[in-house]
Amino acid sequence: MRLASPPGTCAVRLQGCRRSFRTPDGGVYVALDRVDLEVRAGEFVALVGPTGCGKSTLLNLVAGLLQPDAGRVEVFGAPLEGINRRASYLFQQDVLLPWKTAEENVMLGLVFRRVRREEARRQARAWLERVGLRGFENRYPHQLSGGMRKRVALAQNLIVNPEILLMDEPFAALDVQTRQLMENDLLRIWQEERKTVLFVTHDLEEAIALSDRVVVLSAGPAARPVGEFPVELPRPRDVTEVRLDPAFGELFRRIWELLRGEVLRAFRLAP
Amino acid sequence: MRSGSLPDARWGLRATQAAVFVLLVGAWEVASRLRWLDPFFFSRPSSVAERVARWFASGEVYGHIYVTSLETLLAFLVGSLLGVVVGFAFALSPALSRVFDPYVKVANAMPRIVLAPIFTLWFGLGILSKVAFGVTLVFFVVFFNTYQGVREVDRNVLNNARMLGATDRDLLRHVLLPSALVWILSSLHTSVGLALVGAVVGEYLGSARGLGYLIHQAEALFDTTGVFAGLVVLAGFVLVVDLLVTSVERQLLRWKPPSHVEEAL
Repeated sequence: MRLASPPGTCAVRLQGCRRSFRTPDGGVYVALDRVDLEVRAGEFVALVGPTGCGKSTLLNLVAGLLQPDAGRVEVFGAPLEGINRRASYLFQQDVLLPWKTAEENVMLGLVFRRVRREEARRQARAWLERVGLRGFENRYPHQLSGGMRKRVALAQNLIVNPEILLMDEPFAALDVQTRQLMENDLLRIWQEERKTVLFVTHDLEEAIALSDRVVVLSAGPAARPVGEFPVELPRPRDVTEVRLDPAFGELFRRIWELLRGEVLRAFRLAP
Repeated sequence: MRSGSLPDARWGLRATQAAVFVLLVGAWEVASRLRWLDPFFFSRPSSVAERVARWFASGEVYGHIYVTSLETLLAFLVGSLLGVVVGFAFALSPALSRVFDPYVKVANAMPRIVLAPIFTLWFGLGILSKVAFGVTLVFFVVFFNTYQGVREVDRNVLNNARMLGATDRDLLRHVLLPSALVWILSSLHTSVGLALVGAVVGEYLGSARGLGYLIHQAEALFDTTGVFAGLVVLAGFVLVVDLLVTSVERQLLRWKPPSHVEEAL
């Protein structure tokens, strides 16, 4: 197990990052350009922006699944090469292996690290219990609800003890109640483990309720961060109750002023 | 997984199915006895049943069943193995698949039956020529399904495994192979069926043993009863093989949600 990084160190740093894609008609689409972003160790940063603004692309750069065309990505001060081994990634989509049980899915990261089977199984059971899925170890994904599958995916991510947790609209597909439960669970676990979190969402309320800092991305093409808002709401938070705090509404209004412009711009630019 | 909760409805269905059988076979029997159908050309169910019973009583049919089973099994195993290996190679190497694409298309479009005489020439009248023939049928089904299975793996699923620390070998073992297996299993009935077709057609075209040979022999003697008896044995054989495949499939696809089609059936 790694030692917790000293507070204040920079977990993730993007400098002048640019990433483009080939379009089907042979053109080039610049998704991100001149992106500068810093995430301190132990910080919970939420990234909001209109749909199609390249939020997932940015996350993929930090994950090492994509390489920038220009600029650099640093992880704990070292330039990132290949897959980011210090991060885990909670995808928006269902990515559990349907032919493995909940427990086998959670074990996966340990199996890849050649941890002994019994030990991996023991830890997987403990993690399933922590995300509230005791008794569901032997269920297959199709036998679980959408919220339960997300919990399994969360446990699958956390079992490898990542220093950085990348999350791409993980709760977008869930109903409101399940979603709030999951958000509170995430906050509780984050409070205990103090991971660095980069959380992408298009839901501004979710962003404020969860994070220490909200970063607003501009509409694409060539999206980049256009605003940063520290969230100074007291912790530990309850995502439902924190919304009633007057400071929450005030912050929401300030960020929305900026975000609304970008959303409208994205809407007009949309084909 | 099956709807075992409605036994009454199922018994009703079985009874109706049996009634259809009795009606058809009965009509055939009666028509033949009343000379509406010439027994020389159409035989009659009672004679066919008698013949089948005699084959089993004398034990002469077992050897034929054994040979056909062996050919089917070998054709299935060899064809599947080749299909999986080549399917993986093509799916993982775009260059390979681009170069060989037209050859695969042509080979698959070719009516395989024209190869049977060549295989007889190459491999003789024994089981090898039938196995080779069956392999050409099975291979393409398994090959295409493996190729598709590997290609259709969700990008996010692969990326998730990679982020969790999977090496290329881990990806193959934990993600790609099981994913291809799903596709291969979904075509299990087809590929086993084709292996059987290969065996029987091969025997029919030239051999000294097997169910295809039995039918061909009877045909050559204008022995309609023998032909129908051979078909009955073959049908029974197919039914048993299909039941076996279904049970294997159930074992291996336990994790799958029951499909709506299956539930409707």
